[in-house]
Amino acid sequence: MKTTLLLPSRYKKIGILMFIPSLILGILVRFNDFAFDFLTLKDGHSYVKSKPLNFDEVINFTDEMALTGIIVALLFIAFAREKQEDEFIGRLRLESLQWAVLVNYILLLLATWLIHGFSYIDVMMYNMLTILIFFILRFHVLLFRNRSSITD
Amino acid sequence: MKNNIKIERARHNLTQQDLASRIGVSRQTINAMESNKYVPSTVLALKIAALFKLTVEEIFLLEEND
Repeated sequence: MKTTLLLPSRYKKIGILMFIPSLILGILVRFNDFAFDFLTLKDGHSYVKSKPLNFDEVINFTDEMALTGIIVALLFIAFAREKQEDEFIGRLRLESLQWAVLVNYILLLLATWLIHGFSYIDVMMYNMLTILIFFILRFHVLLFRNRSSITD
Repeated sequence: MKNNIKIERARHNLTQQDLASRIGVSRQTINAMESNKYVPSTVLALKIAALFKLTVEEIFLLEEND
């Protein structure tokens, strides 16, 4: 079966290699206010025209870089072809995606009712990534289960 | 749906891996079909039948609840 919209299987490794430094950078930005100096734009207003949303003259792009790295890495891992991608693997893939979307929104609803105020911004931030993370975890759990249940 | 893949495989003296590589799928797929966890596509069913030189109906059988 031809599966469309998948990347060659080597992208899984590339994704993992990209994910680790991007995640570390993301954590440093989030919890230590880390910023690369060379990613600073002095005249921020010329970049972002809408002044009310942009309080600072100076914009630093370290957080943009970290998030881009994490998202691209997760997309690579999620949508790299398995070494032997066939119709059964394709079905596991779709089932995992469905499962991930469902779990993601159940958790989002729970968080919506349980977490209030500024902390909710954290919820939304993590929620940008959890759908892909849940999908990757679920898909690999199913692959592992099927591999280990092989009897001959 | 039931199937006789395991029986036919034994009759032809093939391992799951042999059968998998002959019809171009992963070994997990053969295993999932044999344990009735996966119903193959028509294309795959025809390939399996052709390999064993049987008709599809001789390998795949409907069950009452299908």
